[in-house]
Amino acid sequence: MTTDTARTPARAGLRIDFHVWGPVVALLALIALGAWLNPNFLSYGNVTNVLARSAFIGIIAVGMTFVITSGGLDLSVGSMAAFIAGVMILVMNALAPSMGVGWGVILVGMVVALAVGLAAGLVNGLLVTQARIEAFIVTLGTMGIFRSLITWLADGGTLSLGSAVREVYRPVYYSGLFGIAWPIVVFAAVVVLGEIVMRKTPFGRHCAAIGSNEQVARYSAVNVERVRLATYVLLGVLVGIATIMYVPRLGSASSSTGVLWELEAIAAVIIGGTVLKGGFGRVWGTAVGVLILSLIGNILNLADLVSPYLNGAIQGVIIILAVVLQRQKKAER
Amino acid sequence: MNAPAPDRRAVLEARRVCRSFGPVEVLHEVDLALVAGEVHALIGENGAGKSTLMKILSGYLEPTRGELLLDGKPVSFSSSAEAEDAGIVLIHQEFNLAEQLTVEENIFLGRETRRGVFLDRKAMKAEAARLLAELETRVGPDARVSGISVSDKQMVEIAKALSRNARVLVMDEPTAVLTNREAAVLFRQIERLKAKGTAILYTSHKLDEVARIADRITVFRDGTRVAHAPAGEMDEDRMAQAMVGRELSNLFPQKAPPATGEPVLSVKGFSVGSVVADASFELRRGEILGFAGLVGAGRTELMEGLIGIRESRGTVEVAGRAVSIRSVRDARRAGIAYLTEDRKGRGLLTAKGMRENLTLLALDRFARLAIDTRAEEEALTRAIEEFDVRAPTRQVRVGNLSGGNQQKLLLAKTMLAEPDIVIIDEPTRGIDIGTKQQIYGFIHRLAASGRSVIVVSSEMAEIIGLSHRVVVMRAGRVAGVLEGGDINEDTIVRHAMGLEGREAA
Amino acid sequence: MRLKALAGALAVGIALAGPATAQDGDAAVIGVSIPAATHGWAGGLNFHAQQTIRELEERYDNLDFVLSTASDPGQQVSDIEDMMATRNIDALVVLPFESEPLTGPVQRVKEAGKWVTVVDRGLSQENIEDLYVAGDNTAFGRVAGEFFRERMQGGGKIVVLRGIPTTIDNERVEAFQAAIEGSGIEILGMEHGNWNRDDAFEVMQDFLSRHAEIDAVWAADDDMAVGALEAINQAGRQDQMWVLGGAGMKEMVKRLMDGDTVVPANVTYPPAMISTAIELTALNYVSRAPVSGRFIIGSVLITPENAESFYFPDSPF
Repeated sequence: MTTDTARTPARAGLRIDFHVWGPVVALLALIALGAWLNPNFLSYGNVTNVLARSAFIGIIAVGMTFVITSGGLDLSVGSMAAFIAGVMILVMNALAPSMGVGWGVILVGMVVALAVGLAAGLVNGLLVTQARIEAFIVTLGTMGIFRSLITWLADGGTLSLGSAVREVYRPVYYSGLFGIAWPIVVFAAVVVLGEIVMRKTPFGRHCAAIGSNEQVARYSAVNVERVRLATYVLLGVLVGIATIMYVPRLGSASSSTGVLWELEAIAAVIIGGTVLKGGFGRVWGTAVGVLILSLIGNILNLADLVSPYLNGAIQGVIIILAVVLQRQKKAER
Repeated sequence: MNAPAPDRRAVLEARRVCRSFGPVEVLHEVDLALVAGEVHALIGENGAGKSTLMKILSGYLEPTRGELLLDGKPVSFSSSAEAEDAGIVLIHQEFNLAEQLTVEENIFLGRETRRGVFLDRKAMKAEAARLLAELETRVGPDARVSGISVSDKQMVEIAKALSRNARVLVMDEPTAVLTNREAAVLFRQIERLKAKGTAILYTSHKLDEVARIADRITVFRDGTRVAHAPAGEMDEDRMAQAMVGRELSNLFPQKAPPATGEPVLSVKGFSVGSVVADASFELRRGEILGFAGLVGAGRTELMEGLIGIRESRGTVEVAGRAVSIRSVRDARRAGIAYLTEDRKGRGLLTAKGMRENLTLLALDRFARLAIDTRAEEEALTRAIEEFDVRAPTRQVRVGNLSGGNQQKLLLAKTMLAEPDIVIIDEPTRGIDIGTKQQIYGFIHRLAASGRSVIVVSSEMAEIIGLSHRVVVMRAGRVAGVLEGGDINEDTIVRHAMGLEGREAA
Repeated sequence: MRLKALAGALAVGIALAGPATAQDGDAAVIGVSIPAATHGWAGGLNFHAQQTIRELEERYDNLDFVLSTASDPGQQVSDIEDMMATRNIDALVVLPFESEPLTGPVQRVKEAGKWVTVVDRGLSQENIEDLYVAGDNTAFGRVAGEFFRERMQGGGKIVVLRGIPTTIDNERVEAFQAAIEGSGIEILGMEHGNWNRDDAFEVMQDFLSRHAEIDAVWAADDDMAVGALEAINQAGRQDQMWVLGGAGMKEMVKRLMDGDTVVPANVTYPPAMISTAIELTALNYVSRAPVSGRFIIGSVLITPENAESFYFPDSPF
């Protein structure tokens, strides 16, 4: 609370609204730092690398934005991605001999990924909305389940996609449209669509209403359970899409695939300005949050600023700073 | 009238206090003096600046200009905790209770009694029990706050203030959620505190209450003190006049002749959980049907059952056709809309703007695939005009609107769904008299335009002044349906208390 | 080779023992506690442990095994306590998650009069275990370093992908650095790839952005090598550098056998050491020749010439 209520209209116009622009300012600062530290930072190759590797978490984080905005949480997405990747690889390997190596097998694999993602999201969503178990507990449980399932499927080792199929599938990660890698194209499309859905559709409005006050939403004829369920299903499908982009990268899945993705996705959502308690979400902010997270790692690799042992600490400091920037506004109220 | 109070016994005094929010000044050089052993009533319409002054007095806000005097010496509080240390306690209109803690834990929150490093639960429990007994409430110290009724929560708030041995007690509409019996207990407490020398600042929209308990009355309008007199010199008419700034003719519009239209809603053998049993009634076209009864008689539960929020059994016919309503969506489809009594908890998203709130119920009217924001803005413009919503800006967060304007917005939101049957639960709770009049006028026009209205209210005057017919509920059952000359306070109370049937037997 | 001698002794021991010498009465219970399969090498470890246990249980009626896998040191301590309390084990084969926290609990097992075999990671106090079977991390780093030294006569520029920050990783890297000292090989950068394909892929991408000239990569682990190779392919620089992995993952050994020039060699650090440990422990109960002492399984350079003998297509690793 401040005592200074003197009227200074001249200053108000110049001041940046950090609540809105905080993440963008942080992102720009990181880009400037990176460019200053290493001339290769802004090269086509490096920019492509950073954006493409952000794509998996980014696509997932867009779905997570909806879940969190409506007052939920999903801790299972990292293991879910590993599980979907595993199933996808097993299916494609099994079908390759009979179907022949080609896009047919890969399309089946993609459909399987989407279907498994949808089913996994449905399980989470039904347990939350119908069995009325806390989202934290449900998804903590399924997190362990998916993680065990992939370990079991891979026999504790690594599932690898047959090299013939892999060669066909590889371009989905490594080549692109007009020089823009496919993961980046898909990520951008998901962000744009997500932003439109959040801002412009009844579904997005209902998510914010439910997260804001579930009772008010219920009294306002919002089908609370269905909207909630839909957010988890949407997230599951997006995890499927992320996995479709992930598998061609290394062509393998193991029990260490997707570890901590859930926390990175949640962090990106919060850095982007979405409220962890729900009620307000913005998808473009999430995209910025994801980029901030991957840029930190990239910059630390490109320059020997600190001991690699301290990378985690730097990441932590920047995450907290990015959020502090936005919260400043609140202190004035 | 504006001379500085010469009273030397003033415990707490505000002198030429101003307060601005950003560029807007909401309080203009007001004076107020609280005297030990006196009840000072502060009245005014919503948005007149009462809450702001109360917050300044109790340390929640600092004055932009002007000064506070405690025992004649200038003071400034940088927090409410500092004010409480000086013996000044504010009882909030919206409860400041931790829902998941028990009554006892709430009463002692932040100033727990300790023995060594441990809590002295026994002592606190005993003290809590003593305070609650003094307030004649039924709740025990061990009850969890989330599970007790609204009026009991108010009592806990008061107990909390009492436990702080307040020298100055600031009460923000304490009776808004209390029944008459509970209010009577509160007034006894106020008398007792007065006798002990506590200075009390009291706000209420119920002018009869003010006339009954106040020793001194201050009236605010638009952030200025417009009247200030000992209670004996100001009757209810003069109070209302000073508040509104004009002559208040009839609070209630002229009653239209009783509706004789066909029934649009017919409810038979309707039960909701274990709260409402076997209720039956009819609502006709163009009718205002009042629902009276004591708090806890099951009126709200009955209405929530009707709109599908609560599990129910029984038959409901809308315009002669049986309907099954399992959710608010079903109710909307059947043309029934419900305005909750709990504006902030169930009616409006307080963290959101007016536009999002306005269109939430009828969002399908503004969207095919995407929401047409421009159409929403137009709807908001119309609503602001039609319902006379007064907001500082169109972007204001709804939580920052005054209660009256929130209620108007909630009405506008409900009417966007174009219902044929409107159920309004406590239409004027916590609302000033000017806005009340507007809302009564609106309800009246609604019925005159051929829609049907159910008004659930605990204010007897409202029920009597508005309704064509009155359903009185008692202990979850319909105790009687009154018409014409039977609609009077005496008959309603007899039904509500269960005396009518006994007499007839 | 010590390993071969050991294997020979083992074969003889088991042959001598045979089912006929199985003792009467209660079966001996051997507890096996190892880290969960959270990365490729640990996956191999789990595979070999399960396989060995299955084989031994089939062969000997009087042997019973309890296998538990833990994902952190705390869980491993609980597992061991449970084995003692509820399964009444006669011997414990343990691959400690970390040395420090496991020392006390394992010592208590020993004090209760049980046989203790420690695998790979030593306890922080000496002389607790009856039998110690381990790989040689120093040798692992040294063999890799010597390979670099020999192949890069006259020096060159390399980058290093390190594992999860642990003592194991430090020992390997220090030995590697010592081995290349004075050779003219310059280490451009070292970052942690955490023995993980995805992390190694991203770290290698960034190395490639940062350094225009890289002659070789020491990935120190085959999972990381897979990620690094993919990043090099993406950048189209597979003709400019080669990659040395480690631990003998089957896919990498296969590439070696096929004569891939980017993957000229590998260094062993066999997860099968758990089998050795379990089998040696089992000898106590099936033969009259208990085996105790320290067995260090050296790290060997795999080259296209000897790759055949290190290729296990059935193992998950």
